[in-house]
Amino acid sequence: MSLSDHLWQFRLNRLHPLPKLIVCLIWLVAAIVVFDARFQLITIVLAAAALVLFNRSSPWLVLGLMIPFALFGVGFLTTSILFRDGSDFAGKMAAEAPFVSEGVSAGIVLFLRAIACGMVSALFTLTTDPGGLVKALMRDWRLSPRIGYALFSALNLVPDLASEAQQIRLARAMRRGGSPRRIPGLIEGFSLMLPLLAFAIRRASRAAIAMEARGLTGQGGRTILGAPVLALRDAVFAGSALALLAAACTLAWMLR
Amino acid sequence: MPGALPAPDPDHVAAWRGVTVRYPHQKRDAVGPVTLELETGEHLLLLGPSGAGKSTLLDTLTGLVPHVIPAAVGGAVMALGVAAGSRSPAEWAQHIARHFQDADQTLCGMRVDDEIAFALENQGLAAETIRTRVAAAMRDVGIDEAWRGRRTTTLSGGERQLVALAATLAQASRVLLVDEPTSHLAPLAANRLHRLLMTRAPGRGVLIVDHRLDGLIAAIDRVAVLGIDGGIAAEGPPAALFRAHADRLDAAGVWRPLASHLDTALATRGVAPPQPPASIDDVMGHLAGLGRADRAMARQALTPLVTAALPRALIAEPPDREIIVQLSAADCAPFLGPVVLRNVDLTIARGEILGILGANGAGKSTLGLSLAGLVRLKGGAREGKPGGVAFQNPENQFVSGSVREEIEAALAVRGTEAARPEAADKVLAGWGLGHAASQHPFELSHGQKRRLALATLTAGGRWPLLVLDEPMAGLDAAATADLALRIEALAASGHAIALITHDMDLALRLCRRCVVVGEGTILADASTAKVMANPALLARAGLAPPVFKPVLDWFSEAAP
Repeated sequence: MSLSDHLWQFRLNRLHPLPKLIVCLIWLVAAIVVFDARFQLITIVLAAAALVLFNRSSPWLVLGLMIPFALFGVGFLTTSILFRDGSDFAGKMAAEAPFVSEGVSAGIVLFLRAIACGMVSALFTLTTDPGGLVKALMRDWRLSPRIGYALFSALNLVPDLASEAQQIRLARAMRRGGSPRRIPGLIEGFSLMLPLLAFAIRRASRAAIAMEARGLTGQGGRTILGAPVLALRDAVFAGSALALLAAACTLAWMLR
Repeated sequence: MPGALPAPDPDHVAAWRGVTVRYPHQKRDAVGPVTLELETGEHLLLLGPSGAGKSTLLDTLTGLVPHVIPAAVGGAVMALGVAAGSRSPAEWAQHIARHFQDADQTLCGMRVDDEIAFALENQGLAAETIRTRVAAAMRDVGIDEAWRGRRTTTLSGGERQLVALAATLAQASRVLLVDEPTSHLAPLAANRLHRLLMTRAPGRGVLIVDHRLDGLIAAIDRVAVLGIDGGIAAEGPPAALFRAHADRLDAAGVWRPLASHLDTALATRGVAPPQPPASIDDVMGHLAGLGRADRAMARQALTPLVTAALPRALIAEPPDREIIVQLSAADCAPFLGPVVLRNVDLTIARGEILGILGANGAGKSTLGLSLAGLVRLKGGAREGKPGGVAFQNPENQFVSGSVREEIEAALAVRGTEAARPEAADKVLAGWGLGHAASQHPFELSHGQKRRLALATLTAGGRWPLLVLDEPMAGLDAAATADLALRIEALAASGHAIALITHDMDLALRLCRRCVVVGEGTILADASTAKVMANPALLARAGLAPPVFKPVLDWFSEAAP
C-alpha cells in the first residue's frame, strides 16, 4: 500500500461534520486574531496540504481555489499601502513583522489572511457532505428541519448553478457556432449572472414546494436517517488540529 | 397539529365540487368549474389538452393551491372526507402522495436514498421501516443500488423521473396523484412503472395524468376529460368513452390509445368489435376472428393508419446521400464530463431523420451534442459543419426578453437589420407564435416553447443538422402531431435531423434509420424496421417494440 493509500484511509470526508466545523471555526477566529504573516502562511500551507493529502484534491484545483481569495486580499494589500494612515491598528500589530514598511507589512498580513480564511472555508466545504451536515445539525444541535433543509438547498446551490451555467453556455456557444471554452471569460461570466439568478430563484421555489408537498414541517417528531456518528477518528482529528493550531500560534509568537 | 382524520368516506377519497381556480392577475379561470370524485380503490385517468388545468386541479387536493401557490379557489375540495383547506400541504403528505410533471418539482436535490426516504422521515416512521421501504421502492422501480449515493441533480432526466416515482411510491399513501409519470422514460421502464402504479392496493385511490395510454388503459377504471374551457368534457369507463367521444377528443388535441384509433378506423368499414376495445390485445383478438371478407374490409379500414405509422414518401431516402456530419471512432463525453460512449462511427445525411434510441442515461443526449459539434470529442474525429440542438429543456436556449427578440436574434446572421422585423413576422406566423410575439419565452406553454426553440434554430438557416432531444415530451396529441409534421417538413427542406426519443412509434413513423445506444457504445445502426424487428436487441437496450407493431404484423399477414 502506497503512502497515498495510507493517507486516504484518513480522508476528511469521513469525519463527523460538527467537530470539523468547530475546528474550522476556531481556526478562522485564530486567523483573524493572530495578526502575523507567518501564522497565515502556516494556515494556508496546512489547509492546502490537507486537501491534497487527505482529500485527493488536485494541487491545481487547490491553487485555483486561492485565486478569488487572493483577488479579495489584493484589495486589502493596496488599501494598506495607499492609505496606511488609516490602518493604525494593523500597522501596530504588524510593526514587528519582517517586511519593508509598516503599511506593506500590514497589507501583506491582510492579504494572506484573506487567503487563509478562504482556504479553511474551502477545506470544510470541499470535504463535507451538505446532507450529512444538515442531518448532524438537526439531530445533535436541534436545528429546526425547515432551517436545516433551507441551509441544505443553499449549500447545494453552487454545484447546481455550475451545472445550469454549463447548459446555458452550451446553448449560447451553439448560437455562436462552436463549442464553449472550458473556463468562461469575464464578459461571458457577467452575462451569465442574470439567467443564473433567475434559475436560483426558480430552484429555491421549486425546492420549497417539493419539501412542503412531501411533508416537511417545522415541528418535531421527525426521523433522521443516516446522520453521521461520532467516532474515535473525530477526536483524533480535533486533537491533532487544535495541537497544530497551538503550535502554529507559538511558532508565530516565538519568531516575532 | 390537526386532529385525526374522521373515519374514511366509504365511497370517495377525493372530491371536487364546482371547483374553480383563478391565478392572480389572470382574466379567466385556469380550471373549472369542475365536479369530480375519486372513488375509494379507483384508478382514475384525467385527460385534457395542454393548459386545461389538470395539474392545477391536482394541486388543490393537498392545498398547494392556494396555500403555497397563490390563487382564488371556488367551490369545495374534499380529501379523505374533510375539507382540503383544513390542513397544510405538508400535513396532507402523510395521506396523499403527489408526483409532479416535472421531476425536479418532486425532488429536493438530495442523494437518491435520502430523496426516497425524505417523506417517510417527515412522517416520523421507524428507521428500519424507512430502510425497508426505500430498498423496496428502489428495487420495484428498477433503480441501481450504485445510484444510492448520487445526487439527483447529476442524473439524466429519465433517471430523475425514476427516483421521483420511487419516492412517491415509497410513501404507500391512501391517495396517489401522479402527473405525467413516464414522459421521459424508456419503453421498458415506462411499462414497468405503469404496472407498479396500477397495482391495486386496498382502499388506495389513484388519479393519474398521462399521455402514454397504451399499456396503462387496461388498468384504468374511469376516464375524465377536462375540456379547454376548464370543465369536465366527458367522463366514463375508458373503452366506451373513447368510442363515444373520439371525434371530440381528437378535435381538442387529447391523446387516445391506439386501440381506440383502430376501433374508429374499423368502424368506418363496419367491422369494429361489437364491444369497445379496452386494449390493443382486444383489437388483435377481434381481427384474428374475422372472416375472409371482413378481413379485407378491415385491411382497407386500417390502411390509412398503417400509412401514417410509417415514414412518408415526403422524406424518401435522398438520392445523393450527401453526408452532413460524420463521427469516426469517436469517444463522446458531456461538457466537462467523462467519456460515456466509445468508438462511435456514425454518419447522417442531408434530408435524413435519424432516430437515436436507448435506455435512460445511456448517453443519447451526449451523442446528440457530439454530432452537433457542441462538445469536443475525447477521441476520434468529427467531420462536418456545426449543428443546432433543441435541448431537452427548451428554456436553456432562450436568452432574449421576448419571443420576437429570440427570433430576431436568430435572424441576425442573415439579411439586413431593416428587413429583420418583417422576416421575424413571417417566422412567427409560420410557427404559430404570432400572437405570443411580445411574451417572455418562459411564459409560453410547453408546446409553444418547443416550437420557439425550433423556430430559432431554423430561422437563421445556419445549421444543416438539427439535433432534437425528446422534442415531444410533455406535449398533447395535437401539439405532437403538429411537431411531427414540422420535423418532416424540415427534413424535406434538406436538413439532416437527429431525433432523440423514447417514443418507438414516433421513431417508426419518422425515421428510416435508427441507432441504438447502450453499454457505452452504439449497439446497432440499421433501418428502423430491422431494429424494431429485433426483440433481443430492444430488450438489451431497455426498449420495447412500437405499440403499432402487432398491427403491422397482422397487416402484412392479411395481405391479399
